[in-house]
Amino acid sequence: MHSFIRMIKSGFSSFIRNGWLSVASITVMVLTLLTLSIFFILNIVLNTGIKTIQDKIDISVYLNDNIQQSQVIDLQNNLAGMSEVKSINYISKDEALTKFKEQNKDNQKLLDSINGIDNSLPASLEIKVYDPGKLDKITTVIDAAVYKPIVMKISYQQNKEIIDKLFRATNITRQIGIIITIAFTLVSLIIIFNTVRIAIFSRMEEIEIMKLVGATPGFIKGPFLIEGTLYGIIATLISMLILSSILYFAAPAVANYIGGVGDSISNFLRDNILEVLLIQLGVGIFIGVFSSWLAIRKHLRFN
Amino acid sequence: MIYFEKVSKIYKQVEGGTSEALKNVTLHIKPSEFVIVVGASGAGKSTLIKLINREIRPDKGKIFVGGLDYSELKKRDIPYLRRKIGVVFQDYKLLPKKTVFENVGYALEVAGIRPKEIKERVPKILDLVGLSTKINCFPRELSGGERQRVAIARALVHQPRILIADEPTGNLDPKTSWEIVEILQKINQLGTTIIMTTHNSHIVNKLKKRVIKLSDGKVVSDEQMGRYEA
Repeated sequence: MHSFIRMIKSGFSSFIRNGWLSVASITVMVLTLLTLSIFFILNIVLNTGIKTIQDKIDISVYLNDNIQQSQVIDLQNNLAGMSEVKSINYISKDEALTKFKEQNKDNQKLLDSINGIDNSLPASLEIKVYDPGKLDKITTVIDAAVYKPIVMKISYQQNKEIIDKLFRATNITRQIGIIITIAFTLVSLIIIFNTVRIAIFSRMEEIEIMKLVGATPGFIKGPFLIEGTLYGIIATLISMLILSSILYFAAPAVANYIGGVGDSISNFLRDNILEVLLIQLGVGIFIGVFSSWLAIRKHLRFN
Repeated sequence: MIYFEKVSKIYKQVEGGTSEALKNVTLHIKPSEFVIVVGASGAGKSTLIKLINREIRPDKGKIFVGGLDYSELKKRDIPYLRRKIGVVFQDYKLLPKKTVFENVGYALEVAGIRPKEIKERVPKILDLVGLSTKINCFPRELSGGERQRVAIARALVHQPRILIADEPTGNLDPKTSWEIVEILQKINQLGTTIIMTTHNSHIVNKLKKRVIKLSDGKVVSDEQMGRYEA
C-alpha cells in the first residue's frame, strides 16, 4: 500500500517539476478532446436536423371520391402490416376541408370562394415511415393493380426528387463527419505519443539511473503512468470548461439560424454533461496512459 | 566475495571491428577488502565495474558475486542484485529533479522500505558523509564534491556488502578527492568490501591498499600495499 501511495506522490511531483512538458502534453490533449467533442456534438446537431426532416417526410395517398370503404380498409391493413410503416392516418373529405380551412384561416378571400360549393378535396391516407430510403417499397404496394381504382394520386412521387437529394446530402455529410473524426483522433494520438516520447527521451538518463540503483521496471513505470493519468484529467477539465463556454455563448446565435437545433445542443450538453465528461475523461486518461506506456516500454528493458 | 574466472569482454566497434576490453581476467576479492583498480584510460577498469554491476555480460568466463553465478542470473532478478551492491559513478548519476534526501531515499524506496524508516536512515547516512545541512537541496545547487558525497550516501544507504566506486575522484580537486577517499576508508572499516578504480597515483600511494593494475585488458600486477605511477 505504501508503495502505491509513493507511486502517486512521485507521479504528482514529477508532473509539477516537469512544468513545460506537462503544459505541452496537456495542450495537445485539450485540442484533441475539443476536436472530438465538437465533432461529436456536430454529429448530434446533424442527426437532429435529419430527424426533423425525416419526420416531415411522409406519403399522402389521395383517394378517389365515391369508392368502397372496404377497399380503403384493405389498403390500410395491408400497409399497416409492413415493417417500414410507422403510422397511417385516414383523413376523410370533411377532415380535409376542416384542415384546409384551419391552414388558410388568415385568407378570408380564399375561404369565401370555397364557401357554398361542394367539397372538392379528396380523402387521403397519410403514411409516416421509419426510413425515407425505403419509400419505394411502400409505393410499390400502393401502385398495385387492385388499388388503381381507388388511388387518385401519391403525393410522394411529386417530391421524390427533393427528398432523395436531401437524403443523399445528409448521408454524405454524416460520412464525412465520421471520417474526419477518425482522422483527427489518429493524428492526436500520434502527436500525444510523440510529446510523451520526447518527455521520456529527455528523462532517459533518469530512467537509466533508476535501473542502476535497483528499481524494477514496474516501479519506474508507475509514476509515468500516473503522470499520463493526470494529463488526461486536467486536459478533460480544461476542455469541458472551454466547451461549455463556447456552447453557452454560441448556442443562442446558432438557434437564430437553424431554429430548434441550437437549443437542442445546449439542452443536450446540460442533460448529458456527466456523460460527455465521462467520455472525455475516459478518452483523455486512455490516451495519456496508453501513450506513456507505449513511449516508456522499450526503455525499461534490461540488457 | 567477488570471483572472476577467465573473463573476457569484447566490444563491437562502430566501424565494424571489435576491441577486447578484458582479456582472460581471473581475480579474487575477499570480504571487507579495499581494492584499488588502476590503469590508463581504456585499460578495462570501467568494463570490470560494469560486469560486477551486471550492466554488461562477459563474452567468456564466469563471474561470481557473493556466491551468485551471474551466468544463471535472470534479467528480472537484476534489480534485486543491484540492491545488494552500491555503486558510485564518476558522473554521480543523481536524479536531477529529486532533492538530496529523495535521491538517497530512492535507493530504499525501490526496495520497498517504509517511508518512516527512510526518514530515519537517510539523515544518518547523510551525516556520515557530512551533508546534513544540504538535505533539501537539488543536485544543481551542490558542488562536485558534495554531489559525489550524495552518490556515496545513496550507494551506502541500503547497507550493501559491496561498494563499487568508478573513478569517484575523477572530477574533483585534490583536497575534495582525499575527503571522498577518507569516507570510503571509514565505510571499509565498518566491514564493506570496496572496489575503487582510479588513475590518481597520489591517492593510490597514500592509501597503501591492494592495487590491481590493468593494462590493455589484462591484469599486469596485483599487489598488497601496491603503488602506482601513472
